[in-house]
Amino acid sequence: MVLCLIALPIFAILGIFSVKYRRLVVESLECLFKTVTFQKCKSGLDDRIKSQITGKMLKFSPSAARFFYANYKIISLILLIVFIWSGWVGGVAIYNYVVYGNCNGPDSDKFCILDPTGAGSATCEIPSNVGGGEVITPVKELNRPLIGNEEAELTIIEFGCYVCPYTNEAEGTVERVLEYYGGRVNLQFIVYPLPGHEFSYESSMASKCAEEQGRYEDYHRALFAREMNFNNSTFIEIAAELGLDVGQFETCMLNNTYADEIEKDKAKAIAAGVKGTPTFFVNEQIIVGPKPFKTFKTVINGELGLSWWTKFLDR
Amino acid sequence: MFGFNVDKVRKDFPVLNEKIIYFDSACMSLKPKQVVEKMNEYYYKYPACSGRSGHKLAKQVENEVDLARREVQKLIGAGSSEEIIFTKNATEGINLVANAISWEKGDEVIVSDKEHNSNLIPWLKLISQGVVVKVCKGNEDGTFNMKNFKDCFSKRTRLVAIVHVSNLDGVENPIAEIVKISHEKGVWILVDGCQSFPHKAIDVRKLDVDFFAFSGHKALGPTGVGVLYGKKELLNKLNQFIVGGQTVLDSTYEGYDEELPPKKFEAGLQDYAGIIGFGEACRYLKNIGFREIEKQERKLNELATSLLNGKVEIIGPLDAALRGGIFAFNIRGMKTHDVAKMLDASKGIAVRSGAFCVHSWFNARKMDGAVRASFYFYNTEEEVKIFAKEVEKICELV
Repeated sequence: MVLCLIALPIFAILGIFSVKYRRLVVESLECLFKTVTFQKCKSGLDDRIKSQITGKMLKFSPSAARFFYANYKIISLILLIVFIWSGWVGGVAIYNYVVYGNCNGPDSDKFCILDPTGAGSATCEIPSNVGGGEVITPVKELNRPLIGNEEAELTIIEFGCYVCPYTNEAEGTVERVLEYYGGRVNLQFIVYPLPGHEFSYESSMASKCAEEQGRYEDYHRALFAREMNFNNSTFIEIAAELGLDVGQFETCMLNNTYADEIEKDKAKAIAAGVKGTPTFFVNEQIIVGPKPFKTFKTVINGELGLSWWTKFLDR
Repeated sequence: MFGFNVDKVRKDFPVLNEKIIYFDSACMSLKPKQVVEKMNEYYYKYPACSGRSGHKLAKQVENEVDLARREVQKLIGAGSSEEIIFTKNATEGINLVANAISWEKGDEVIVSDKEHNSNLIPWLKLISQGVVVKVCKGNEDGTFNMKNFKDCFSKRTRLVAIVHVSNLDGVENPIAEIVKISHEKGVWILVDGCQSFPHKAIDVRKLDVDFFAFSGHKALGPTGVGVLYGKKELLNKLNQFIVGGQTVLDSTYEGYDEELPPKKFEAGLQDYAGIIGFGEACRYLKNIGFREIEKQERKLNELATSLLNGKVEIIGPLDAALRGGIFAFNIRGMKTHDVAKMLDASKGIAVRSGAFCVHSWFNARKMDGAVRASFYFYNTEEEVKIFAKEVEKICELV
């Protein structure tokens, strides 16, 4: 009876491909019906499965076969529990993958079998020897420049690095998000210069020096437009292209004027529990890695009250 | 002439080269290559109809079918090939007799208590016509009870329909004596020879049976071919059952003239490939020799019995010599289908489980059924030893 319940979905799936399993589906269904109506399942499917497995085991280990035969009911019950549990976990994983692009949800960069390359969750890892302590969810800072509409209802806070390939990969999606929501969403970018990445610190400092001259947003976009093709003169070149005061910019860079600010940003990332870049915070929701547009859309819709379930609950 | 060599014989059965131990020959025997090739010969070389057209191919089919009929005739010792009617199987042969006799209300038919449904249901169906079916109970060990049999007769007894060798336990009924008693009472006798024809020499004239039905598929032949032997004078007395093409000499809008046996009973185009293949199966059986077949089966059954007696509950007499090639058994506390499934899953041992179409016998004893290993001449002692070992392992599960 118990194995019939497991057999039903398995044979139903196999039945799509082979007609021989469809008869077993009917048997399983009949058995399930009998079970839920408190009747005895007479199909014998359970017995056949039991005998088949016992017979196969007899070939290799009679003692194991004896154990299985004697404890068949409890084993099949355990199997049923595992089956239901794995079905639930699998269902959640599929839901997460469909909605967030990762089996483990938007805030995870763990392995996902549905995304074996991990492209949607990959990040530039922040060394684990830094950080610790209580996790503080970052909030919009009034004195930090915004990208997009300053009056937007919702602010995405991104921890990123200009020389991180995954931050760069996510940039296109971020721009699409800002455009899609037409001013209802903006972005606050908190830079985390990754140790060991060439021009990571310099690019971070450059964005701060541009902010000094009120051109942060333009400079930020110009840095991403270079797609990590940086050299020693890149940052001055961008400043010149944007019409900044190059002398002032150069002095700012040479003096490491915003070194303390950068350290504070790094500390914020650690405090927020960020393990790699890019990591996005949408209020309490976290998105890790260059997730697809639909993931951002799902999370943001939820926060803006645009989701069907939010609308449903509001009715 | 050169003695029986099982290893040599097994080469004729390609399926035995695979990992399977086939102990279900009582249900369906395996087919030697010669039979399959003979059937292919029909399809490749002369796939025409018989007894109708006059062209060369049709004549060749006619000749081959006639040869097959004569092979069957010789093998069962019939007096004439006209006494051999090809049917679909034994069941059809028995149904033919049941439906071709002009029954009168109150007529009685005697059957044994171990009849296959094929030799029970056709008679039970006649109850609606007022026919009485009497069941002759056997002994506890499955052997025939002659006293009970004699007691079943009355003045209204019209037919005895009885199994020769039981498919349930392999026990052979004393047909010669049964026939003698029946004839003394002026009663016709039909013998179900499904489990005897493939395994032992049959001489219908010596046995003096009136009708003898058997299937080809249990005797190395293809599926879809059976035989009903009937004494010529009795076949002439029988009504037609299934009619149509070939069963008539001539017809008008008002009526028709019946053909003579066997055509009288062979309606429509026949399974020529099957009939020709079955003729080849008869030749094969004759070449092997029934003495060797019986000897091999007995040896295997004695071995199985010696290895498993006391460990399983054997159906029928304990003496293996009385059970032909049938070893039917139960394992206490275990369902029959479970045992069969395990044997199949563990070592690819093919056995039958359930009631073997003898539901009446099991129902009378409130039993679900049994497991049946049925041996044939192509089985080996090694296979029986593996089987016994696996059964022992299964016994230890409970």
